[in-house]
Amino acid sequence: MSILEVRQLTAGYGGKEVLQGVSFSLMPGELVGILGENGSGKTTLLKSICGIVPHGGSCLVGGTDSRSLSPRALARQVSYIPQQSGISIDLSALDVVLMGFNPRLGLLEYPSQDMKQQARRALREVGLAGREEENYQTLSQGQRQLCMLARTLVSQARLLLLDEPESALDFGGRYRMLSQLRRCLGGHCGALVTLHDPQLALNCCDRLLLLGGGKLLGEICPKQDSLESMEEKLIGLYGGLTLIRAENRQGLHQLVLLK
Amino acid sequence: MASPTVKAKRNALAAGGLLLLLAAIGLLVGRYPLTFQGLLAGDAMQRQVFFQLRLPRVGVGVIGGFALGVSGFAFQTVFRNPLASPDIVGVSSGASAGAAAGILFLGSSAAVTASAFLGALTAVAAALALSALDRSGKKSTIVLSGIAVHALAQTALMCLKLTADPERELASIEYWMMGSLSDISAHRLGGNLFLCLACSGILFALHRQMLLLSAEEGEARMLGVSVGKMRLVVLITATLAVSAVVSLTGLVSFVGLLAPHGARLLNRNNRPGTLLLSGILGGILLCGADILARSVTAGELPVSIFTSLLGAPALLYLVVGRRKEA
Repeated sequence: MSILEVRQLTAGYGGKEVLQGVSFSLMPGELVGILGENGSGKTTLLKSICGIVPHGGSCLVGGTDSRSLSPRALARQVSYIPQQSGISIDLSALDVVLMGFNPRLGLLEYPSQDMKQQARRALREVGLAGREEENYQTLSQGQRQLCMLARTLVSQARLLLLDEPESALDFGGRYRMLSQLRRCLGGHCGALVTLHDPQLALNCCDRLLLLGGGKLLGEICPKQDSLESMEEKLIGLYGGLTLIRAENRQGLHQLVLLK
Repeated sequence: MASPTVKAKRNALAAGGLLLLLAAIGLLVGRYPLTFQGLLAGDAMQRQVFFQLRLPRVGVGVIGGFALGVSGFAFQTVFRNPLASPDIVGVSSGASAGAAAGILFLGSSAAVTASAFLGALTAVAAALALSALDRSGKKSTIVLSGIAVHALAQTALMCLKLTADPERELASIEYWMMGSLSDISAHRLGGNLFLCLACSGILFALHRQMLLLSAEEGEARMLGVSVGKMRLVVLITATLAVSAVVSLTGLVSFVGLLAPHGARLLNRNNRPGTLLLSGILGGILLCGADILARSVTAGELPVSIFTSLLGAPALLYLVVGRRKEA
């Protein structure tokens, strides 16, 4: 059974329709990237699934319409990382990660020692060891994104929605983040990630959704589709480009995009 | 370097000690000076002044100041605005209009307290009702509704002032708006202090939820928070606490704004220890200002003069000192 089933999704702001009839599904263990130009509706798609943006059509999370779930019930199943966190007060990195436990805590309950240990471990895993007590506001943008990833990792949600989680990370950090994400998915979680770098998406994701003008223009399965078919679809989105398969010194094949 | 928890404990202990000291001074200092010897010897006059006037007054200084500090922390966190205060939802202006109506039409000080309390609650209820018209539940709608109610309450206050007798009633209204603890007596406390304590307790219990509300609305929702409902609960609780204080003391400026800032600058975080410190600093400010208000001159001066006089330099010192430290 799919973790997420999106059917004929329409959404917009102030009467302007940004998404028009988008349909797709996400299976357990899948890491799916969303590619599209600026303003193509990538963020709106994630926000609609979360119910932050009102939408038409349906988003079934674990078989239940997301609109019928309370924020708490939804947060137990879905973890969302916005492009930039709105946290604007002084909180330690550890406190920010501990927020991820909220859906599993009672209203007046505080995180247990075990949860604090898990949060520290998650910060270590994303490369923020020793920064637990550092003020989140003083972290670099990239470190904040890693902190948000740690928050998502501890949430134990089955569906992870990440809006450009790597935009402020360096070259190595981007690949590390996505491979970390893949590791944490295991066989029962799924992730939907909006990305701006098609090469990163081609090499790290199981499947890519191509979004243009609010519509789903096509899908790419990098491990199955032919080079020509992928190139044709990417040209449809970004214009003239060349896709080649290259081998690095370790003998690993990677897809390389040339403009 | 001390860990944040140790630092927070140390700051809370130091501030708590200072508050106790000020409370002790506040019990003895005033137009009718009291002595420990006189109280222990059972001097009837001293005991009456102590139990009927001094103890309730210091109680309001400590508990009321604590409630103002805790409420200020709640407002600033929930609105994600360091300048947010109860005024943002029209509490102060509603209380002022209520107090003015009480002074003009009812007269007795107990009636003025009740009327101010009612005014504050009416203003907040109106602000929340107006904001409910917009079903999006956005924070900006509450702020805009608060501004509209504030303006309406100010208009009502101006109209009431116009009809007031300039010699007596207008002076009373103006004096009320500068705040004073001089009218506090045991029989006037009623449920106000209980309300302050209960609301502060609820805000402590909801501290973690308040921090979650400090994220963007969508983000907080995806962390499992029923944003609209929780924000409403926190705001109503904080407002009730503030209404309970200002209806007794009149408007007290700066405490709700400064105490949370001071606590954050000292602790450098927003953990429960900082909320506690914010309350203690509120108590210190109000108690300290009240002691000065009744001892600087032969008569009583408005307490807001001293909360601002004590608060502004303290805040500047903290901001500049910490910046140098950084």
